[in-house]
Amino acid sequence: MAVPGHRLDRMFNPRTVAVIGDKGPGYMWLHNNMPFKQKGGTLYSVQLDEKEIPGIEALGVQNFRSMADIPEPIDYAVVAVPRQVSPYVLKDLIANKSNGAGFFTSGFAETGEELGIKLQDQLVGMAKEANFNLVGPNCMGLYLPKVGVRFSGDAPVTDDGRIGFLSQSGTHGIMFSLVANANGLHVSRCASFGNAVVLDVSDYIDYLMQDDETEVIGMYVEGARNGRKFFETLREACRRKPVVVWKGGQTDAGARATMSHTGSLAAPQAIWEGMMRQCGAITTNNLDETIDVMKALLMAKPPKGNGMALLAQTGGQSVSITDAFAKAGFRVPRFSEGTYKELGEFFNIVGGSFQNPLDMAGTIQGSDETLDRILRIVEADPNIDAMALELSAMFAARQWKKHPESLDKTLDTIGAHSAASGKTIVAILHPAHEAEYVAQVQPKFYERGIPVFPSSERAAAALQRVLGAGAQ
Amino acid sequence: MTFETVLAQARAEGRTLLNEVEAKDVLRDAGVPVTATTLATSREAAQAQAEAAGYPVVLKVVSPDIAHKSDAGGVKLNLNSRDEVAAAYDAILANCSAAVPGAKIAGVAVQHMAPQGTEVIVGMTTDPQFGPVMMFGLGGIMVEVLKDVSFRLVPLEDRDAAQMIDEIKGRPILSGVRGQPASDVGALKSAILKVAKFVEAHPEVRELDLNPVFAYPDGAIAVDARIVVSEA
Repeated sequence: MAVPGHRLDRMFNPRTVAVIGDKGPGYMWLHNNMPFKQKGGTLYSVQLDEKEIPGIEALGVQNFRSMADIPEPIDYAVVAVPRQVSPYVLKDLIANKSNGAGFFTSGFAETGEELGIKLQDQLVGMAKEANFNLVGPNCMGLYLPKVGVRFSGDAPVTDDGRIGFLSQSGTHGIMFSLVANANGLHVSRCASFGNAVVLDVSDYIDYLMQDDETEVIGMYVEGARNGRKFFETLREACRRKPVVVWKGGQTDAGARATMSHTGSLAAPQAIWEGMMRQCGAITTNNLDETIDVMKALLMAKPPKGNGMALLAQTGGQSVSITDAFAKAGFRVPRFSEGTYKELGEFFNIVGGSFQNPLDMAGTIQGSDETLDRILRIVEADPNIDAMALELSAMFAARQWKKHPESLDKTLDTIGAHSAASGKTIVAILHPAHEAEYVAQVQPKFYERGIPVFPSSERAAAALQRVLGAGAQ
Repeated sequence: MTFETVLAQARAEGRTLLNEVEAKDVLRDAGVPVTATTLATSREAAQAQAEAAGYPVVLKVVSPDIAHKSDAGGVKLNLNSRDEVAAAYDAILANCSAAVPGAKIAGVAVQHMAPQGTEVIVGMTTDPQFGPVMMFGLGGIMVEVLKDVSFRLVPLEDRDAAQMIDEIKGRPILSGVRGQPASDVGALKSAILKVAKFVEAHPEVRELDLNPVFAYPDGAIAVDARIVVSEA
């Protein structure tokens, strides 16, 4: 769904896209956006260099020598011209009544050069006067998988994205999109916004928080041009949906004179963190933490409290999974008496314990019926808010490889509980010595909506972040 | 004195730093609990003010040129008689003139010495990116060495003040440890919110320290205050 009337709505839901200044032999931007054409969108090229035109037309894309010749308003344009030309292109885009454009063109203020700064100022002046949505410059622009607009030839074309992602860095925007996809998480809309001289991160947040397709917002930011507007927009967005903020770099506010004790203690990073908590944002420090928390938010039911049931396979695992969750601030409470009574009816004490954590391999012995029974009992325990189930590639990979249906059956069992239960269920599968195999079977988890993490620590950290945000 | 009067006077004198007596005056007007403090410009006035405040009293130098009052020998604690006040008054003037030659000394602040409580700091500064920001932390080494402080942007909601207090690492100290009484967290929360309202109402305030604030089982009071205002 779009956000009718929003100033960014046309560019976030384009029907006409123009690629301006793409070059052979690769024609990267046209290739990136071929899915848009294949999905029925109108894709134009603008290129006046005669030697580039045949290559463009060979791709089946209609080329115009001038923007002015395009017969209809463009919703979104990708601008890949040399920097000196960019003001002329912007003038044409404004005349065309285009809604917005991602300026891949770089060499502006980020270089610190006089010409770059001058050209950027020129773009800003023109865009602001015309109320034009300039994305960037010095960015990868928009990734709209549903309509096939892409900022990378590797970015998947999916139509069920639920994550809106914003990135000051093109690399992190693309990397997030690819890694999210590999983890069964799809992007609804992504913007790599570079120098953010016209549209700032707050403008994109404002759109994503109103966009129904976007259930969760994530972002990589190094800073905001207007701190106060960022704070207010972020706080409003957090009231509407979960927002995950991965803050890169140390904010450098520069040395400033202070006559107070408070001023001398006010490190920019500490203020940023306080501001994040005030908004109710979930904060992360890197890509993996960002992916993990998105996975917990979108695939697991939100935990209602911090009482964990830990279901491990062996004694050693029981200890380490408990360490990981306890260190992350979870309780690992005793089960209720009823639970012990029910487990006691069939639990194999020899080589297995059923305190909490459960050490259950000896009892399950490969039986999914027994796993189902254990999950059913533990899930019903009033002391328990969430369950983490550790699977063991070290022990089981050989069996799973030999009988792939055995893994399917186990995952069906877990998936059924995950879907039906009101409580949080996460799986942990350390790759052990079977990294390649484990990577191969990941999609089986995601197809069934089972959030799976490569370590207890990562699962615990992700759940703790979700829990912290819920407590706001 | 109203904030506007104090501000006008400071600006007329080319100062951006409000002295302790001025800062406490305007904060008391804003409902922030501070110890009643008066300015003495003579030994005799100090004695009279000490009698009025009630012993024991504290004397502190008031000078725009002396930032670290204790270091300059400008603070005398626990004075219990007219003679002690007179001697302290003379000593402060002598110490400060020696420590910071040529320092302009406006006088000596006289206040009743509040009983020791759990020391906390409540402050505000102006961040170049986010504007006015409130700070809370435990006093003493917790703030000096561990920088165990929390921040929130002004304006604050009730919840923000509560979270500022709860998220410092030393939070258990306020609940009372090793036989120490628990501190009145409600009074601290109220002080934070009142200071936040005060700075919101007066954008000229750039920085503010209440350091320390003594927290008691019942109530809390700022025993020192400093306010920095913007240049006119």
